[in-house]
Amino acid sequence: MTIEVTIRNAENGSNLNMELEPHTTIEDIIEGAAEFWHKEAGAYVLRRGKKLLKGQSTVMDAGLKNEDVLELIPDPEGG
Amino acid sequence: MAQPGGDDRWDRSRRLGWIDVDSVLESHCLVVGAGALGNETVKNLALSGVGKVTLVDMDHVELSNLNRCLFFSDRDASGKAAKADVVAQGAMRLSSHCEVLPFVSRIEETDLDWTGFDVVFGCLDNIKARLHLNSHSRHHRVPYVDAGTDGSRGKIQVVRREGPCLQCSMNRSHYQVLERRFSCTAGDFTYYEPPMAAEVTTTATMAAMQVKEGLKILSGREDGCIRDVMFYDAMSNESLVLELDIDEDCPNHGM
Ligand SMILES: [Zn+2]
Repeated sequence: MTIEVTIRNAENGSNLNMELEPHTTIEDIIEGAAEFWHKEAGAYVLRRGKKLLKGQSTVMDAGLKNEDVLELIPDPEGG
Repeated sequence: MAQPGGDDRWDRSRRLGWIDVDSVLESHCLVVGAGALGNETVKNLALSGVGKVTLVDMDHVELSNLNRCLFFSDRDASGKAAKADVVAQGAMRLSSHCEVLPFVSRIEETDLDWTGFDVVFGCLDNIKARLHLNSHSRHHRVPYVDAGTDGSRGKIQVVRREGPCLQCSMNRSHYQVLERRFSCTAGDFTYYEPPMAAEVTTTATMAAMQVKEGLKILSGREDGCIRDVMFYDAMSNESLVLELDIDEDCPNHGM
């Protein structure tokens, strides 16, 4: 069964609604959101609440639920 | 009239109470990267009393580094001085107690004796080198404090002897830019164009937080460290500490 979640863009506060299948991975969500917002290639992470979500986890593994709000955060890699 | 403790270089540090000054004075830290973060991190370590720092960086100073690197000068840029050498000399001028051993090479090609390090600090600009440092720190069971910046954003991750490591926090988006350097002066990496925005207030903030975490570890206060990753945004004044699980597929665990 699909669920609908909101992805928040940490860089500008805008939101995106995404419909997800149980087997969709966190990495798929990151790529989909980055593509939607035309983000430059770069490292990103996704959080739910105080938890940083593992890239290979599926929607099911991560226990994502309908109406969850996730945040896409750029992972700064400069020195 | 002289103030109490005025003739003890570490008097004000001792007054903090939580810092184990004697452990810090005897400690040996590895810092990899002598760019903007590395300048600030080594400065903070030297002023905090760390006895010995091994510093690794393969790069030379460029004029565009001078908006954020306190030890670099125009002369270093025109003379293409090695960053590690310049930072080592500068830090030893700040503290006669601190010995800084510079290695002008890539971390992947540097033969180090890992048994002597108390804390490792990552001040790097690419994910490949970070993963190298992460796996070696895990293997040798040395705590690793990684920092990263991008413009007004920054990140600190504390990799303890147990618990999740840097690789556990990574996903496909990291591996797609694995070898890209996020600042560029030399080398055979794929360059990032245009160069990333960077300024001293963000790098100085992140380096201060990074060294604070290191001082907690050196002082036996590991329980007070960031668990596990902190993201900072200077423009919104927000910082966010996120927990992370060990990735059961991560090769750095169960050894
Ligand atoms: Zn790991």
